[in-house]
Amino acid sequence: MKNVRVFYEKNGPCKYISHLDTNRVMLRAVGKSRLNIWHTEGFNRHAYITFALPLSLGFGSTCESMDFRILDDDEDLSVIPERLNACLPEGIRVYRCAEAVHKPAAIESACYEIILEPMKENEISFEELSDKLGSFLALPEIIVQKKTKKGMKDVDLKPYILAYERHEGEKVAFSLTLPAGTTLNINPNLLIGALADYAGVELYADITRTGIFMQGGADFV
Amino acid sequence: MYPKEIEKLLLRVQKPGRYVGGELGAVVKDKREVDVRFAFCFPDTYEIGMSHLGIKILYSQFNEKPYIWCERVFAPWIDMEAEMRGHDIPLYALESGDPLTDFDFIGFTLQYELSYTNILNMLDLGGIPLRSKDRHGLEHIVVAGGPCACNPEPITDFIDIFFLGDGEEVDLEVIELYRVCKREGTSREEFLRRASRIKGVYVPSLYDVSYNADGTVSAITPLHGAPSVIEKRVMINMDESYYPDNFVVPNIEIVHDRAVEEIFRGCIRGCRFCQAGFLYRPVREKSVECISRQCHALCRNTGYDEVSLSSLSSSDYSQVVPMLKALNEWAKPENVALSLPSLRVDGFSDDILDQIKTVRKSGLTFAPEAGSQRLRNAINKNVFEDELMNTCRVAFEGGYTTVKLYFMIGLPTETPDDVAAIAELGRKVVDCFYQTENRPKGKSPRVTISASSFVPKPFTPFQWEPQDTMDTLREKQQHIKSSLTTRKITYNYHASDTSFLEAVFARGDRRLNAVMLEANRRGLRFDGWSDCFSLERWLEVFDACGIDPAFYANRRRSFDEVLPWDHLDYGVSKKFLRQECERAYRSEASPNCREKCLGCGAAKYGGGVCYEKRQSVL
Repeated sequence: MKNVRVFYEKNGPCKYISHLDTNRVMLRAVGKSRLNIWHTEGFNRHAYITFALPLSLGFGSTCESMDFRILDDDEDLSVIPERLNACLPEGIRVYRCAEAVHKPAAIESACYEIILEPMKENEISFEELSDKLGSFLALPEIIVQKKTKKGMKDVDLKPYILAYERHEGEKVAFSLTLPAGTTLNINPNLLIGALADYAGVELYADITRTGIFMQGGADFV
Repeated sequence: MYPKEIEKLLLRVQKPGRYVGGELGAVVKDKREVDVRFAFCFPDTYEIGMSHLGIKILYSQFNEKPYIWCERVFAPWIDMEAEMRGHDIPLYALESGDPLTDFDFIGFTLQYELSYTNILNMLDLGGIPLRSKDRHGLEHIVVAGGPCACNPEPITDFIDIFFLGDGEEVDLEVIELYRVCKREGTSREEFLRRASRIKGVYVPSLYDVSYNADGTVSAITPLHGAPSVIEKRVMINMDESYYPDNFVVPNIEIVHDRAVEEIFRGCIRGCRFCQAGFLYRPVREKSVECISRQCHALCRNTGYDEVSLSSLSSSDYSQVVPMLKALNEWAKPENVALSLPSLRVDGFSDDILDQIKTVRKSGLTFAPEAGSQRLRNAINKNVFEDELMNTCRVAFEGGYTTVKLYFMIGLPTETPDDVAAIAELGRKVVDCFYQTENRPKGKSPRVTISASSFVPKPFTPFQWEPQDTMDTLREKQQHIKSSLTTRKITYNYHASDTSFLEAVFARGDRRLNAVMLEANRRGLRFDGWSDCFSLERWLEVFDACGIDPAFYANRRRSFDEVLPWDHLDYGVSKKFLRQECERAYRSEASPNCREKCLGCGAAKYGGGVCYEKRQSVL
């Protein structure tokens, strides 16, 4: 039995599949592909699949992963992406399959590509939005309300911005690295919500997760 | 693919996955390469519509033809509707993202009277003129089929063509005619006239309805050579009927998220309140081999690991145990679970229980429908109390602790004693639990009693009956409540006001078209959802139109009255329905189709149960 990890993209209409529904889509794909994978042996037998890091509804991603156990040690892993893709909606594409290396619990951060637009066209100009973004990120602290298990809590996001890079071009686009994982997870929408309040406009953010990292910045594989 | 403009709106609404399509199994074609574009509209939300079997059958069947592209359209929930209206985005089909105006046919399925307002709202959202007479040229043909097409009179102003009975053949025949007419360049009117000559096609604009001074219908007169009686279509050989080997598999969870196999059409029972039991006569079964083959293909192609064996009364399938065994030959090794909904109390056996899904033992549901044996006889629900108790005992011995019992109140001939007997039956089930030796130890039983309000429907023996007034129904609900003495019984009842509106439209006539239009003008829709339904607003609409809803819901019709649906023929004769009604007055049950033929009229279709050899004869 091998612990296997597949990596996949999630885009287009599939951005709107919630985490729970993604689990269902994947279970059906695994079933339909007839991959010989380990099933739970309890009362309600089902294929055993796990996900390293849930993705928020509406986010695209180029780096999602799913783990399962292949029963046959001699199984050719290189054909698994193709077999799964034949059973998945077009917006989900598996591009890699290998034995799992890292433990999901060791994930520390994730990188997002973000493109900002005003919700209402022309409500704020490109230049103005660019300036607002710059001055917002230069604030000494960015206090937001974060929902925790113990209710709402004020959190300063500033120290959590692990990396930020503004991209040149016609759109307000940038990449952002934030803490991610089971202990501390910061959703980029928290920051964007705070920016929208700061700028006084309703914003639409096209968000794609592009990297998941371990301590020290190594890719999660 | 959804239109680009909605991207920004999607994260502002609940369950955006409803509006984006892109599912496995969705059919995308090149619109330049098809002759006919068909928008299959389900007048409810995505999760409801995607659970409906009819749309799955017709969607696949239409799309098998290279020259037809059939797409799906669902009613956007109110949050999405507000966004779409606010941003001038017309209602679009999920496969292409194109608005309804791009389609040749806009087809609705009529599952439920309370979805009528959604039909108008969807047409309006799609930019299609609501009334047939405002639509011109050979495009945007609005068609509708499904059970409510048996009395479509309240929506005749809006629909060009109704399909009566099974749609598999007649829909395609009309589409073929449309292709011919399009090639020939005929007018819309000519197309509709020609369509009216196809069996099973009802073109309402070709009929004139006149009324008596008392408001009842005096005559229904066909025009332009339309037939005086429109006969439903029947697929008599179910093994050879089209059935899809793949479904569009939704990416978000829907109500019935599993493979579905129709094991037979129709029902042998003839419960007198049940419209489906009369509309779908005669009973036609698929063979075990056919069911097993179709189920297997569906599970392989969709990836579902659960298949529901669907019908109006699954335990009445003549080969139920052999079928389950045949299915389990592949289903067990492939980890596919079988479920058998609509089990009758008397059809529940150890043998069946052994074969169906054994996981997630949440509970069992039975529908005695009435509390007393006398009333069960009157409605012809041939279920006996000792059968129910036996079944409950089997269930309790099998580890179940929860039993749900469905009842109706307001049934014809019902007395206060019959109503009180509902609570009494619930109590007996609780007692049965404690009398069962091998019951789950240390657990207490939960019995849920649900009571819905009876709605008299066309083509049933109760089609002439008045519905109880809302006040009477409320009194009866309270009567049950006060008759309950144990906390082991949970009592649920449904608001009687939606049942009242349902009763109005179920047996309505053409004068209700004005009411529908006014309701649409006032923004009424999603009447089947308590979030949206408002009886008060509906009463205002009736008032504004000068129509008394009680005339339709609460009036007793005489047996010789011309009913608004008298020109439609579903195979069961009015004489038979009247006989059954009179037997109900005498609290007399009738034998089912397998026991004795009562000559309802459905034998004229030349197949099904009417020609099976009866056990008593063998």
